[in-house]
Amino acid sequence: MHELDDHDSIILCRSCDLAVTKRALPSSARAICPRCDTVLYDSPYCSINGMLALCLAALIIFIPANLLPVLEIHFLGSVRTTTVIEAAIAVWAQGYWVVGLAVLVAAVIAPAVLILSILAQVIIVKLKLQRSFWQRTYTTLLKNQGLIAQMTMLEIYVISFLVSAFQLSDFSDVFFGMGTFSFTMLFVIILFLQREYNLEHMWSYVDEH
Amino acid sequence: MSIDQSTAANKPVSQVMPRSENPPKHLQGNQLGLCLCSVCKKLNVTRNSHCRRCFSPLSTRNYASVQQSWALLVTATILLVLANIYPITLLTNRGVVTNDTIFSGISHLVQTGMFPIAIIVFTASILVPWLKIFGLATYLAAISFNLPISKRKLMVGFHIIEWIGRWSMLDLFVISLTVALVNMGQLLDAKPAPAATAFALVILLTQLAAKVLDTRLLWDRLEKKHDTN
Repeated sequence: MHELDDHDSIILCRSCDLAVTKRALPSSARAICPRCDTVLYDSPYCSINGMLALCLAALIIFIPANLLPVLEIHFLGSVRTTTVIEAAIAVWAQGYWVVGLAVLVAAVIAPAVLILSILAQVIIVKLKLQRSFWQRTYTTLLKNQGLIAQMTMLEIYVISFLVSAFQLSDFSDVFFGMGTFSFTMLFVIILFLQREYNLEHMWSYVDEH
Repeated sequence: MSIDQSTAANKPVSQVMPRSENPPKHLQGNQLGLCLCSVCKKLNVTRNSHCRRCFSPLSTRNYASVQQSWALLVTATILLVLANIYPITLLTNRGVVTNDTIFSGISHLVQTGMFPIAIIVFTASILVPWLKIFGLATYLAAISFNLPISKRKLMVGFHIIEWIGRWSMLDLFVISLTVALVNMGQLLDAKPAPAATAFALVILLTQLAAKVLDTRLLWDRLEKKHDTN
């Protein structure tokens, strides 16, 4: 084990396996692999309290974002509204469950799991929960973090509001509601949350024990 | 986000601490007996069987990943052809039923003069999936057949593919919103059609193909030929 300590100044590129010496970085700079341009590491700026605040804000705005209608159309006197979840279920009900599931996971389930996962990690770090149950939970959450982050596609959904609104305006009058505003705010909060979050820094709390 | 200034701050290890009289130009982790944990990216000694931080099994290279990636890519290509041929939505407008494929939907947008939206949809539903498949195929071919393509350019392309691939989901989101809103029977009604499932699977499979691939294999293969691009 101790021979690795000689190597702690070395980092390997995850894309091309080049060995690179690690240096201290100025803030808001990223180290890039000299051979293949993959990002090696960022300067570790990762505020636990800031993330806690963003998580709570995201949790609160998550409720109206998913319960209030995001789009509303008026067509020959009849009004139709839909929420994000209803839209996914509507496709599912037509028999296209693969599409329905993909929409549900990308727009509702993955963001919810992402917020709860980061919230749990922040609480474990902040309260310094040392019991082996908490430590195992923390490791499991970190292992799955990359997958969940990749499945969260709120930014794409926000663009799809615009595209749908333009397409539907061909036939009918289209209105945005409070749900659209809430959903866009949810996207903005999660965007900042993911900027603040640094996976390597979160892993370093495991190293300290 | 000053990216450029930090590039110079990092030097390959071989330049900083020469290990032999005649050090190789680029020293790789597997030559030093080191590897990254595939789950948590912690530096480990190759000799150990499990990561010292997260206890996942260690492996230096995943040689099977090239085959897995090819298999996923071929499946995705077949499905993408189907997704383009079959209709993706079924629109009933005052009793008249029209089948829209991905392409006819976009040409309809162009005819009604919504160019910016047409460009967004064209990029997300046609350009991105095809670029992704051709890009990944080039990348895999460079590994499998040792093609003399600049490794650095391939790697930049790979990162772009990884990042942009998710945007294909746009079309599915739009379909789900449209189907949920437009349901007024014979007057105006939108329903999904078979290509939607094929398209969803294309996105899933191409994302998997990129995720599964061990990109370090590219740099190993060409390193043997002392090609440093």
